[in-house]
Amino acid sequence: MIPSLSTTLVLARNVFKEQIRIRAFQLILIFGGGALYAALLLGALAVDQEIRVLLDFGLGFMELMALIVAIFGAATSILKEIELKTIYLILSRPVTRTEYLLGRYLGLILTVFLSMLAMSLLHLSILFLKGWPWNPLYPLLVLLSYLKICVIAALGTLLAMLSTSILSAISLTFIFWTLGHFLTEVRFLIQKSQGIVVWFLKPLSFLIPNLQIFNLRDRWEAISQMTPLSTLNLSLSYTLLYSSACLFLAQWLLRRKEF
Amino acid sequence: MSAISFSKVTKVYRRSHLGRTTLIPGLNNLTLDIREGEIFGLLGLNGAGKTTTMKLVLGLLFPTSGTLNLFGQDPETSEAKKLLGYLPELPYFYSYLTPLEALRFYGSLSQMDPRSLKKRIEEVLVDVGLLVHRSKRVSEFSKGMLQRLGLAQAILHHPKLIILDEPVSGLDPLAIKEIRDLMTQVNQTGTTILLSSHSISEVEKICHRVGILVQGKLTRVLEQQDWSSEQGKLEQIFVETVKSESRQKQT
Repeated sequence: MIPSLSTTLVLARNVFKEQIRIRAFQLILIFGGGALYAALLLGALAVDQEIRVLLDFGLGFMELMALIVAIFGAATSILKEIELKTIYLILSRPVTRTEYLLGRYLGLILTVFLSMLAMSLLHLSILFLKGWPWNPLYPLLVLLSYLKICVIAALGTLLAMLSTSILSAISLTFIFWTLGHFLTEVRFLIQKSQGIVVWFLKPLSFLIPNLQIFNLRDRWEAISQMTPLSTLNLSLSYTLLYSSACLFLAQWLLRRKEF
Repeated sequence: MSAISFSKVTKVYRRSHLGRTTLIPGLNNLTLDIREGEIFGLLGLNGAGKTTTMKLVLGLLFPTSGTLNLFGQDPETSEAKKLLGYLPELPYFYSYLTPLEALRFYGSLSQMDPRSLKKRIEEVLVDVGLLVHRSKRVSEFSKGMLQRLGLAQAILHHPKLIILDEPVSGLDPLAIKEIRDLMTQVNQTGTTILLSSHSISEVEKICHRVGILVQGKLTRVLEQQDWSSEQGKLEQIFVETVKSESRQKQT
């Protein structure tokens, strides 16, 4: 059955409301703003590389803050709804479990989008204040960071369905996040391994998201020679495919769950 | 047509711990028809299967065997769920919402028209006596107020069937009377009510029929005339039924 868009959007709007009203989210945003401001100090220490440091730290902090919102939101929200039983009043209405899951995911990535937008506006204002010349690749970098967060939010949603506790869901998502930045190395190590371990690790390596394709920030000097459109196309396609696969599996698991 | 029809419905819970699976019976071979327009009460001790029965109707649990349907439809379908209203034992709401926002949210999920929803929210808030508290956060609500809000969301979309799990538990006598009157009023419009309660006196006052569950098994179904002749008769029948069933199980 095709999920109803209006039901999904009602659920997404509620998740957005929930996220912005919880104190943890407000604290993260304040901390994010503070961290961006603190990058000014680090920039001052870097003397002639001040703007570069401001740029790198700012983008890094922004991604970290968005990551915290996404991981906690994805890994905890459904499990918390099951624990607090708020899910009862939703699933006893004409809402399919697929719509419920999609609504929660969309609400979460909308929250992340708006918080990243707010943080990047603050970051840009600091950069302009320091005389940074506008580079059109900046929005691309922020967008790639955002797509990376979308991938990890989808994976977090899937892992939450496989976990029995909030703590294990958060820990597993963080582990996959870390491994996702070293996927080439992980696959190389698996290739070099022997015995029964390989049988276990090889399928697991396919579950790890390849987050390196979103990491153009590390190659700031080189990206000016890249074609932004092809980079964006690759990342966008990867995000759509990976997130869809995670959400498909997650809804399959949710449809079998009893409350 | 029956509002709810159970045919040989059995529910067995599987609990896994350290590689060992334990099977816990929840409901045993339940066959029952709940008639359209009646108030049917489920009585039973803790763990008798009352909540399991309700959750099966709501699609929160799946039967291990047997079939059930709502107004002739599969309870899993959206069409069947549109006909349902549910009040859980402890109403669980998002603490950051106000009653107005909560009812708007649940009404939208029940696919109500936005214009009629606004008017209907005002109506139910008046019915449950929460109109003056409509802009307060749910986190500031007492248990009684939560129960009233729970009832408001259950009747909001004019469902044909309302499932109430312990609707008066923890309420003061005045609130119990108000909720009882509201349930009777809703039933008079043709709405079927399935309720479970530990309060036999409440069940006695409003139910047309009562089913007694003992350890997952429906042991008796009583009509109103079976208990209305004498005050306290339902309690007497309930105690006798539970005791004799427990004795039989032991032997």
